[in-house]
Amino acid sequence: MSQKTYWQGFGQINDPESARKHNHDEFKEDLPFEDFDSKSLIDAKAPRRDFLKYLGFSTAAATLAASCTTEVRKAVPYADKPEQLIAGESKYYATTFAEDGEVTSVLAKVRDGRPIKLEGNDLGFTNGGTSARVQASVLDLYDTHRIKFPLQKVSDKFEETTFKFIDGAVAKALTAGGTTVLLTQTINSPSALEIIGKFPNLQVVNYDGISYSGMLSANEQSGFGRVLPSYRFDNADIIVSLSADFLGTWLNAAEQSAAYVKGRTIDEKAPKMSKHYQFEGYLSLTGSSADERIVHKPSQTGAIAVALLAAVGGSVSAPSIADAKVNAAISKIAGELKAAQGKAVVVCGSNDANVQTVVNAINSAIGAFGTTIDFSAPLTSRKGDDKAFADLMAQMEAGTVGTLIIHNANPAYDYVNADQFKKALSKVKNTISLGYRLDETTALCKFIAPTHHYLESWGDAEVKGGTISFVQPTINPLFKTRQFQDSLLIWSGSTTTYDVYVKDFWSAKLGGESAFNKVLQEGVYKTTAATAGSYTGGSLAAAATAIAAYPAASKDEIVLYQKTAIGGGAGATNPWLQELPDGVTRATWGNYALISMAKANELGIKLDTDYEYHPEKPVIKITAGNKSVELPILVMPGMNANTIAVAVGYGRNETLGVTAAGVGKNIFNFASSNGTNVLYDASGITIENTGRKEPVAQTQIHNSYEGRVEVLRETTLGAFKQTPNEFLDFRNQLKATYGKGTNDFRKGGTLYGDHDKPGIKWGMNIDMNACIGCGACVISCHTENNVSVVGKSEVLRYHDMHWLRIDRYFISDENNPDDLKGVVFQPMMCQHCDNAPCENVCPVAATNHSAEGINQMAYNRCIGTRYCANNCPYKVRRFNWADYTGADSFKNNQDQKIVGKLDPVVHQMNEDLSRMVLNPDVTVRSRGVMEKCSFCIQRLQHAKLEAKKDNRPLKDGEAVTACQQACPTNAIVFGDTRTEETAISIVRANNPQRLFYSLEQLHVLPNVSYLAKIRNSEEIIEKEGSHAAAAHGEEAKH
Amino acid sequence: MSLNRYESQTRGALVVGNKTYHDITEDICAPVEAKPSKLWWIGFIISIVLLIFGIVSVTVEVIYGTGQWNLNKTIGWGWDITNFVWWVGIGHAGTLISAILLLFRQGWRTGVNRAAEAMTIFAVMCAGQFPIWHMGRVWNAFFVMPYPNTRGPLWVNFNSPLLWDVFAISTYFTVSLLFWYAGLLPDLATLRDRAKVKWRKYFYGLASFGWTGSTKHWQRHEALSLVLAGLATPLVLSVHTIVSFDFATSVIPGWHTTIFPPYFVAGAVFSGFAMVQTLLLVTRKVLNLEDYITIEHIDVMNKVIILTGSIVGIAYLTELFMAWYSAVNYEWFAFAENRVNLDSPYGWSYWIMMGCNVLLPQIFWFKKIRRNILITFFASILVNVGMWFERFVIIVTSIYRDYLPSSWSTYYTPSIWEIGFFVGTFGLFFTCFFLFSKYFPVIAIAEIKHILKRSGDNFKEGYTKEENESFEKFVHDNEHH
Repeated sequence: MSQKTYWQGFGQINDPESARKHNHDEFKEDLPFEDFDSKSLIDAKAPRRDFLKYLGFSTAAATLAASCTTEVRKAVPYADKPEQLIAGESKYYATTFAEDGEVTSVLAKVRDGRPIKLEGNDLGFTNGGTSARVQASVLDLYDTHRIKFPLQKVSDKFEETTFKFIDGAVAKALTAGGTTVLLTQTINSPSALEIIGKFPNLQVVNYDGISYSGMLSANEQSGFGRVLPSYRFDNADIIVSLSADFLGTWLNAAEQSAAYVKGRTIDEKAPKMSKHYQFEGYLSLTGSSADERIVHKPSQTGAIAVALLAAVGGSVSAPSIADAKVNAAISKIAGELKAAQGKAVVVCGSNDANVQTVVNAINSAIGAFGTTIDFSAPLTSRKGDDKAFADLMAQMEAGTVGTLIIHNANPAYDYVNADQFKKALSKVKNTISLGYRLDETTALCKFIAPTHHYLESWGDAEVKGGTISFVQPTINPLFKTRQFQDSLLIWSGSTTTYDVYVKDFWSAKLGGESAFNKVLQEGVYKTTAATAGSYTGGSLAAAATAIAAYPAASKDEIVLYQKTAIGGGAGATNPWLQELPDGVTRATWGNYALISMAKANELGIKLDTDYEYHPEKPVIKITAGNKSVELPILVMPGMNANTIAVAVGYGRNETLGVTAAGVGKNIFNFASSNGTNVLYDASGITIENTGRKEPVAQTQIHNSYEGRVEVLRETTLGAFKQTPNEFLDFRNQLKATYGKGTNDFRKGGTLYGDHDKPGIKWGMNIDMNACIGCGACVISCHTENNVSVVGKSEVLRYHDMHWLRIDRYFISDENNPDDLKGVVFQPMMCQHCDNAPCENVCPVAATNHSAEGINQMAYNRCIGTRYCANNCPYKVRRFNWADYTGADSFKNNQDQKIVGKLDPVVHQMNEDLSRMVLNPDVTVRSRGVMEKCSFCIQRLQHAKLEAKKDNRPLKDGEAVTACQQACPTNAIVFGDTRTEETAISIVRANNPQRLFYSLEQLHVLPNVSYLAKIRNSEEIIEKEGSHAAAAHGEEAKH
Repeated sequence: MSLNRYESQTRGALVVGNKTYHDITEDICAPVEAKPSKLWWIGFIISIVLLIFGIVSVTVEVIYGTGQWNLNKTIGWGWDITNFVWWVGIGHAGTLISAILLLFRQGWRTGVNRAAEAMTIFAVMCAGQFPIWHMGRVWNAFFVMPYPNTRGPLWVNFNSPLLWDVFAISTYFTVSLLFWYAGLLPDLATLRDRAKVKWRKYFYGLASFGWTGSTKHWQRHEALSLVLAGLATPLVLSVHTIVSFDFATSVIPGWHTTIFPPYFVAGAVFSGFAMVQTLLLVTRKVLNLEDYITIEHIDVMNKVIILTGSIVGIAYLTELFMAWYSAVNYEWFAFAENRVNLDSPYGWSYWIMMGCNVLLPQIFWFKKIRRNILITFFASILVNVGMWFERFVIIVTSIYRDYLPSSWSTYYTPSIWEIGFFVGTFGLFFTCFFLFSKYFPVIAIAEIKHILKRSGDNFKEGYTKEENESFEKFVHDNEHH
């Protein structure tokens, strides 16, 4: 063989010397073989020690490789990669959440073809704000208990069938005689309404689980048409709510709370805020934010409305109200309302048309229409008509209804007289449900044509007059489902599919497909507002007379309310929502009776240490006529002594799945009726103590902050004006005492040096005046960070995993805890202390500090000593007590038998379908490791990388945490605190008098700051804290 | 008469019953060489059963996670670390008796030191179980070892008191074990020499490291004992000091207390002596060693108990005073509300602690009670109950209601596996102790011979007799011959 030489580059022929040198220096470090550099591998000497090293390593490696097998789970790559799709990159699609009357424009974050997170759409009317239910709705897509294919009932059992079969059956039914009725939850899709209009003889009955029918009728009679207005709380100086939970569940709470908070924001230089009066029987979420609450029996709402109308100068005679406090409040409030002409609003949560008519008269008298109440942008999400539904039931009972198509309405569960409906339904020959789950009504139907999740659907939603929000699919339908508009199109005889239909519908309106594409991309389209009707004062006299004739209040009354998470029951199947602690009671998983302390004492229930420290609460029996229900109690302050409040939405059917079934009791049957409208309260109930106990899964058991002013700061507006520097002085004193010489608490408060760390320094600020306790942030955090669901049994063991919680404290009179002075919400998550007590106690340095001020967790380093959690003064660290995620290296370890049995919901969340919702950017933690808020570090890293790619500094607002993004009231500000122009720096600089850090005196140097809570009251709280902070629940302790 | 007058009567004889050196060897070797008694078998089997329960409890906890215990998001440590500190405390008496009392030349220690040292070792073994198995991911427990690694290298966190624990306890265990074993060597050789069966000869021969009893061996043995005693002495103080750092260096009111190191050490000696007392009262009875472990020993140890118990009592009161005097409301709340307040959820545990640790030992001011075996036995058990509650009070009542009232915890009661783990360590402890009492001499044969004052006593006895005799009788007796 000839010794030919081949050259590999020009360097080698032109300058062989330097090329040789270059080759020689290619590897900067020598390879670990002796003599390997100059000679060939064969000649290299591997000395005995090296040889043994290699031998040892390869033997060990071979042993390991051979013995440790990892389960192979296939990830199939795209054979044909869709255009514009980059694996690992998220895409955002504008779409619309519309459920149970709540409509919010959202952006769906789609990662590798799966929607995994929802963010508010800034162009939508909530300005990017969301609610807990919006945030949680993405999990509904992956609900393991969805209806996965069309069903047909064959001798009481459902069997799989085809859409073709159902379409045939429907076609037959439509011509078989008898009226055809579409019973639907309010549809606000213009295109769907057009499709419905195509049916020749289709009677449409709107039915809302929580009825606003009375309010609609009242508005109609008052001359506004059968619509609901938009409320502009930001324009109101005086807000009076007659048991309307307008920050929680009443109408469009996310939008309303944003507007409300605008008027509650304090400018320190000229402190001023709106005044919020709340009349109610129990402590609602909205009442928790009120400046003054006036408690009364729910049956008195009408009388109070009339009295208020009389006091503002209405032409009605004031009824006599026995309670002097209420009377005094009414005359005081009436004075303020009149004075604030045009800058005041009265809202009322009653579904009684008479009461709402009176409220309209009050609003007219105080000039609210056109300023704080806007009928030119009416809400279109609730059109349910109680009377029409009652008529339909009569028809059904009479047997004249041949075919009943039910879409999203569930009267078999949430109607006051569900049994009557069920009986009536059995008389209808053809019942077809367009359901999503096998809910109580759907389970009674003969045919089920299951519908898509909205994230699989096309569509449009007219949120309010003039604002259209679009729905577009973000994923191919997961199951054999068909969206209800498609079903209606086919049944109407049309051959176009709905996606084409909706495109044509809007292209025609907007002038072309490109215009449609544009609004589809933006998600929202605004057109000219409707013209508002004007107040006519119709039927006021009749309403006042009717109210005067209402029976007097009975001894004990009940009020039904909705939790922000569960609503009227729509959230009951969602594990995240079930596990979201209620803002007021801090209880998860189930309903209970809220009662006053006075009532508890009357029933002989001892509110001792046992009551407070054990989750088992006494059970009472509530009876009304022939209905009765037994529920555990929770004693709440600020309740009317004789009013019991119970949340609706619980006590669901087995068919809805393991999350909803068996949780709480259905209380809808306790609703009453005034003849035409359903009223969500009732009088004439009796309560007795059963002597039994049942557990209530609360995540917080103590209600008072014990006057611990270092934990949180709250005061009244009067006190704040008087001593504006109270909180600042405390901070200055810390500086002066511990920062001697330096006047710097950070540097002076330690023996050790403080190193300068240039670059970004993340910080968060939470305005406690803006926090209304809705819980949107909690769910957003849950979703973003793959926080596990632990189920009721584990919450009862105080094992909840929330990274972010909203601590709630009651401020009540020491001697009379029922007299609630205020409620404080303090969102609490890892404070990312610069001098973190958790960091120095970890034996393995699994938790440490980043140069950017973030307290980090290295999960795979954590050995789970829990020392960090013990040493955390904020108690924000959460430990994986069991294998909640199925991510553990041990197999089959979720079948605990004696201790810590896991609820079925944990297993549900571990199914492959549910796991599709997991955020791939965040590690799923296995059992035995500690976890906590990370400031959404994955989002921060992403934003930094984007900036780096563009070769520019990070801009303020690019890195947004999940909680901040979700907050409807913008209570949370986040960013780089080292740059002066950032929002966080500005907010801190502008609010020195309200700024505080929780437990600052410990010198842990938290990176989360708070702005003090201020209630609009002139009351000056006595100093030395203890009085103001007198404990509710403290009484329970002693 | 005349001679007795000049003898100081500080302490009675440490070995009674007029023993010869041979008697001592016979008496102490007897239980080792005889077949185990029925009582031994019963005790041993019960211990094994408890141990198995413990193993099952731990296995279940490792498989299913720490959620098998009723700890929660607020109470991260409960029975686990309470038991850990309790067992470590018990493990203090042995080394104290052997090392510090050796340096102080306290002769009475020889009667009890062997058993006390064994107890120390077993107690530390029990204690070590808790920090290991309380980990959420125990299979990664080796992360606490600072070994060169390929992770960067990633080191342990030298700031963490929990890491100091690892070093403190492993060092203490090693030194205690060596000390104990060094003392055993001559006795093992004795057993070897007396062995009549092959396996005994082989086993004890192997264990005695070729001890021949030569002067050189004895010289080295003494030197080693002294060196180890010197090493062990600071360890007795350091171990519990470092354990107390787990709490003292934290920020939690009730934990963050500078008085903890001496307070913990005193408490540890207190509980250790109580445990020695409990065990020896049983051992001397069961193994017929009343002549070697005498009322005198019990009396002396009760004195140590009242001393350390009172130190602990002063520490409790100092803590209370400081909580008030500091004017820190969190600190005051932790003491006044979480502990002293009997109406608070765990108020009862504080008062059990106070009763057992401070009030109860005061009965030992009376010599009669110090020498009453029955009262001493029950008191020694109650002291350890009290000391268990001391650790429970420190750990649980501090964290269950700390800074943020929102995080105050629901009532914590142990789950069956937590109880099982604790009971299991009793099983481990007693299994080891029964095996020890069967296969090793429970009293240091060689050492106790040092303090045998037989010839002097015999002389005194004979001489006294003669002194008291009348001259006539003496003459008479002598004339008779």
